[in-house]
Amino acid sequence: MASVWIAGAGMTRIGRRGEALPDLMAEAAHTALSAALVETPDAIVVATMNPEEFLGDGNFASRIATHMGFAEVPALRVETATSSGAAAFYTGFAQIAAGLHRRVLVVGGEKMTHLSTPRVSELIGRSIDPYERSYGATMPALAGLITRALTQQGVGLREFSQVAVKNHAHAARNPYAHYQQPVTLAAVMESRIVADPLRLLHCCPISDGAAAVLLTAEPAPVRVAGVGQGTDTLAVRHRHALTSFRATQEAAKAAYAMAGFGPERVDFAELHDAFTPFELIALEDTGLVPPGKAGRATLDGDTSLDGRLPINPSGGLKARGHPLAATGVAQIVECVWQLTGSASGRQVEGRVALAHSIGGLATNNWVTILERHPSGRA
Amino acid sequence: MIESIAASKCPRCATVVAPPAPYCPRHPIAMTPLEIQGIGEVVTFTTLHSPPEGFRSPLHIALVELEEGARFVCHGSETRGLKVGATVAIEAIDNVYYFSHLGTLDRARIFWRRAGRAGDRMNAIARSLAKRVLKGRTRA
Repeated sequence: MASVWIAGAGMTRIGRRGEALPDLMAEAAHTALSAALVETPDAIVVATMNPEEFLGDGNFASRIATHMGFAEVPALRVETATSSGAAAFYTGFAQIAAGLHRRVLVVGGEKMTHLSTPRVSELIGRSIDPYERSYGATMPALAGLITRALTQQGVGLREFSQVAVKNHAHAARNPYAHYQQPVTLAAVMESRIVADPLRLLHCCPISDGAAAVLLTAEPAPVRVAGVGQGTDTLAVRHRHALTSFRATQEAAKAAYAMAGFGPERVDFAELHDAFTPFELIALEDTGLVPPGKAGRATLDGDTSLDGRLPINPSGGLKARGHPLAATGVAQIVECVWQLTGSASGRQVEGRVALAHSIGGLATNNWVTILERHPSGRA
Repeated sequence: MIESIAASKCPRCATVVAPPAPYCPRHPIAMTPLEIQGIGEVVTFTTLHSPPEGFRSPLHIALVELEEGARFVCHGSETRGLKVGATVAIEAIDNVYYFSHLGTLDRARIFWRRAGRAGDRMNAIARSLAKRVLKGRTRA
């Protein structure tokens, strides 16, 4: 299989944005293209989770390609719920690895803040099993069920609250993040209950934004070392386990197998912390910390910007924000910027980065491993 | 009376799912229908304070493991005092499944709450009466 490289990365500031989604996606895409010194890609892969409902727009690959001035470039759209950005990245990767194209633009975005919170919640909730939804299950409700099961295994409120404190502290140093303010442990632990035992500040915000990367067949500063997909039952009640996600474990296994190395070589990671307990689950499912140790590692500061294994230097979904299909790409953009020394204010040291994205309630997950070019910051 | 719940079983891996499904989630094999008893152990539960449209806040949701390992999502009238591992009965009221040891008062409360959701104003007085009775019980 041919090597695939990332030659350019770009993203918009995440948050409440007044611009239309095509404008946000064009901004991210043109930034990635100019960083790669490429005017026109051979192909475009677009990720949006649900523009039909959020915006009332369909045929979105053509919509975006035409809007950006690429009406004559082949474009397609990929969707795996909240991990659509990572799935689009995989699709672009596969196109180059298979020799179908040499330069592929991957762009993900979502616009949500113009709708009311209950409406957004309902639209995201459509990725849940219909029977569970008929009982009022939303993403926070299912995350609440999972968090309760975690606490039964000894994970404490302080541990998953500290994840929020840490990720807000990181975001406060990231000009692209939705939240620029740190939060205290007390504020997190005393925020209002959303789905017991989950509180408001354990949950990611509703955000707008877009992110893009330019993948190439020619050597560039960052190499894609491995990409893996993992899946599980749509219904949470059909799962064998609640406190670990098979979809993450299988995605990680596949990504490590492709990379030819394991979690011991990973220097930092962007993990899907839509709900802060999920960061603890992901830390263990990806093998970055041993089973049962994620809470301790977090409280000890191991996963902070200055820790042994920085997790979510961008602020994560929790504080950078979670514009659905933008997120999977935004995680990769952060990893590229970190690996190439361009994450000023929050720079960490490392040669190998891991990005982890959850689709639905962990039904369709992705793990992507990136490696800095051996020659340094090419 | 213990309710009987429709379920289905995979002939290959013996997974039981409720409600019944045409195919096993993990095998492309038609499932065999069966009935299981509506009694099981609480696996996990939550109380949702911002439920979606059509549901009242707070919304109590539990995941209950029935016999043969089938896990079932249901509502409850309350999660206060509920413990993971507790044995609960599942009963259908108005085609919706609820967990708990349903006494007469619980039944009445659930019935009135659902009637209220349908927008039946006539129930308002009866509901407030039931609430008063329940509040009295909570204090005691």
